[in-house]
Amino acid sequence: MNLNSLFQNTEDEHPLTVSELTSFIKQTLETRLNDVFVLGEISGFRRAMPSGHSYFVLKDNKSQISCNLWSFRFNQLKFKPEDGMKVLIRGRVTVYEPRGTYAIEVYSITEVGIGELQAAFNRLKEKLLKEGLFDEERKKHIPDFPQNVAIITSESGAVIEDFIKVAKKRYSNFMLYLFPVLVQGKGSIESVCRAIKQANDLPIDFDVIVIARGGGSIEDLWTFNEEDVARAVCQSKIPVVSAVGHEVDYTICDFVADLRAPTPSAAAEMILPDKRELLDNLNNYDYDLKSLVFDRIAFYRESLDRIQSNYAFNKPRDILNDVKIRVDEISDELYKIFSDTLEYYKLDLEEKHDSLASLCKDRITFCKNDLDYKEKILKNLSPDNTLKRGFAVITKHSKIVSGKIDLNSNDSVNIRFHDGSVDATVN
Amino acid sequence: MAKEKVNTDSFEYSFRKLEKILSDLEENIDRKSLDSIIENYQEGLKLLKICRDKLSQAELKIEKINPEK
Repeated sequence: MNLNSLFQNTEDEHPLTVSELTSFIKQTLETRLNDVFVLGEISGFRRAMPSGHSYFVLKDNKSQISCNLWSFRFNQLKFKPEDGMKVLIRGRVTVYEPRGTYAIEVYSITEVGIGELQAAFNRLKEKLLKEGLFDEERKKHIPDFPQNVAIITSESGAVIEDFIKVAKKRYSNFMLYLFPVLVQGKGSIESVCRAIKQANDLPIDFDVIVIARGGGSIEDLWTFNEEDVARAVCQSKIPVVSAVGHEVDYTICDFVADLRAPTPSAAAEMILPDKRELLDNLNNYDYDLKSLVFDRIAFYRESLDRIQSNYAFNKPRDILNDVKIRVDEISDELYKIFSDTLEYYKLDLEEKHDSLASLCKDRITFCKNDLDYKEKILKNLSPDNTLKRGFAVITKHSKIVSGKIDLNSNDSVNIRFHDGSVDATVN
Repeated sequence: MAKEKVNTDSFEYSFRKLEKILSDLEENIDRKSLDSIIENYQEGLKLLKICRDKLSQAELKIEKINPEK
């Protein structure tokens, strides 16, 4: 059977069987439409399990056509097709003979207008935004002085080194826990999600989790645009800092994180205080403390001076002064009394002295006269006058010899005359 | 997030305490006795020393956490 005979077919001659016609249609369509690009909007998307094949309708404002997406091709997609999505489909038209239906067997799906990955990014971003996962109220506060920091990043490479370098320069008063993960490629999503969960489950009191990765293409950073990673970040009870890629690279992880750092080094700068600033602060506090206290002491001192010169405070002093004056008065009086008394005694004494003196003088005169008189008498009575008259006094051994009886021959005697004495021997 | 546990050995603890003493002094010095001012002053000096020592002596400690299997 050829095409000509088919078109010349009449009701009398050689009517076609359903199978013949369908087979003809299949052959025609599948031969001619074996690689087509079709623009349209996805509708009624569903994925059959366990096969994993997907079915949907591609439509525009007038028509629609069924589409099949086999499981292995679905897995190659960078995004999850959804209803309402405008796409460019590449595929071939196939006819399913048992039902006489045709469909497009999809080779690939591209979002229309923008790159496939960018579109996926936009979609997830939109979705999570609607869920409120980017809301400011959700953002957790990162402590000013973290003591335990978890960093989820590649064990090798510049990121961890840069982070440590900045940390050492800025502030080292904390524990850094490294959670080594795969940051791109197969297994990276699970690796990052597991590390976030592990940090939350460990009995370490983490102040912050830093998810870090160096710069790269959108494909390299793709792990951090995955919904699973975004949700793991959202579920973390520990504040999360996202430090993925360079300044210009934004990832979904950046939006859901509590803080976005433009680079891993910047993350260290953002979460760690600066030692030099702190030392400056301490110097200021030092100054403030001293000025506050010294000013206060100066204030007290001034107050004291003021109070001292205050009349009310000085009243006791006035009283004291009164007392002092009174004491002076009294002592003056006392002195006067004493000196008067003294004067009196002095005069009295002088008087007594005078009378005593005259008394003594009289007495002495009397005694002297008496003595003179007695001397005269005595002189008259003395042996000297007798001796002058020619008598002598003989002594033997200093004893006066009063008679002949006292003397023997050869006795040594002393004879005293009025003008001297001589020794003599008795014959 | 506010922490329940207070690490009295941390830099932050001493630093915050110092700030508290200062703001307390700034606000309430008129009402404070000379004795308590002197007490605050001595405490402040002590905390200043602790903070400075901690900053200058600290060495970053790093630990690797192996992934759960």
